[in-house]
Amino acid sequence: MLPKELLTDFLAVAFYLLVGVIFAVVPLIISPLIVRRSAGMRREETYESGMETIGSAWIQFTVAYYIYALIFLAFDVDVLYLFPVALAYGKYAIRDFLEVVIFVGILSLAIVYAWCKGVFEWERKR
Amino acid sequence: MLAWTAGILILIVKLGVVLVLVLLLAAYLVWVERKFLARLQIRYGPNRAGKFGLLQPIADIIKMLTKEDTIPDGAERLIFLLAPAVVAMTALLMFAVIPLGPDLTLWGMKVPLVIADLNIGLLFVFALSSLGVYGVALGGWASNSKYSLLGGIRGAAQMISYELPLGLSLVPIVMLARSFSIVDIVQAQERYPFVLVQPVAFVIFVISAMAESKRIPFDLPEAENELGAGFHTEYSGMRFGLFFLGEYVNMLVLGGIVAVLFLGGWRGPLLPPFVWLLIKIMLVALFMIWTRGTLPRLRYDQLMALGWKVLIPLALINIMVTGAVVLW
Repeated sequence: MLPKELLTDFLAVAFYLLVGVIFAVVPLIISPLIVRRSAGMRREETYESGMETIGSAWIQFTVAYYIYALIFLAFDVDVLYLFPVALAYGKYAIRDFLEVVIFVGILSLAIVYAWCKGVFEWERKR
Repeated sequence: MLAWTAGILILIVKLGVVLVLVLLLAAYLVWVERKFLARLQIRYGPNRAGKFGLLQPIADIIKMLTKEDTIPDGAERLIFLLAPAVVAMTALLMFAVIPLGPDLTLWGMKVPLVIADLNIGLLFVFALSSLGVYGVALGGWASNSKYSLLGGIRGAAQMISYELPLGLSLVPIVMLARSFSIVDIVQAQERYPFVLVQPVAFVIFVISAMAESKRIPFDLPEAENELGAGFHTEYSGMRFGLFFLGEYVNMLVLGGIVAVLFLGGWRGPLLPPFVWLLIKIMLVALFMIWTRGTLPRLRYDQLMALGWKVLIPLALINIMVTGAVVLW
């Protein structure tokens, strides 16, 4: 069960979200009512610097991008653990410090590993 | 019952004030940016609509409202239509936890000048700034245009990479303030703003925040001379307007977050608290505009190297140093 105060706070956020959605949607509803629609050749074609569009855009792309996503996944979850630690920090003095150092040390190994693996270099296409 | 009605009324008034203020500020931030940037480049900027071009934002809104809104062939319709709303909403929603001033007392009732003083305020901000990635990545992908796809992927990779230093740089702040609630964090800066004790975290945060908001020198997702307009190439009319609005609201939000976390929020001598907050937000925004007028765009590998090889290790070291100093 949530405390009452927290519940009202989240209700306020929900209400804000609702009002914000209305703010965002109303112009989208008004706009089609007042615009003049034009009809022309190839109006709906995707932009390709004025050339005729060739094929679909949904293609395979370079591997370099998703490796970042993978390290992010491995890293971000761990970063989240640092927050509760930071909140409770200082209760057990030196023990807290050592634990943070060990945790951050292990965390940095992930970066060091990726660094040595050359993940952060952009490989040229040969 | 009476307390409930009063509470709801107060909430509605607060929502109205915040929304109108944010949207108005965002609209005029566009004007400020164009004017300031023009001056940096030795030209005039908008000066036809109204005195000093002051009516320019209104003219822009009318123009975007009356422009046709096209959906490209072969686009994923639903996602294409929703993506701009995601960007605008996540930016707008972050304002819910930013305190605009100290608690007011009205007719014996305590009215906090914040929409919701969540006890997880900081995490709420992170969650929303992560959600913003979806708008960019999905909007770019759903357009079925090559430029948009590349912009979207770049945007996603960049935003998740800079999410990490952004989060890590705030761990020391939580250590100092002992709370996630933004109101408490402002409270903790009663004696001195955190920028004085956490200059490294401040620099890391501002750089990552600029990367998160995809502004020059980190504007690779919409690099106009290689990608058209990047992830929003295919958007037109009011939907483009929402992306645009989202970008400027985002700038304000980041200014607001820097102000409350590092610059002491609404605290300041002489002037009323709210004015101080506004000044601090505008200073951060002006700094971002100034950078845009000064720096060239980074190359993609430089961007990633800066994030992963400089900012993240620096943030990790900063956490350990702060940990040692706090115990001292």
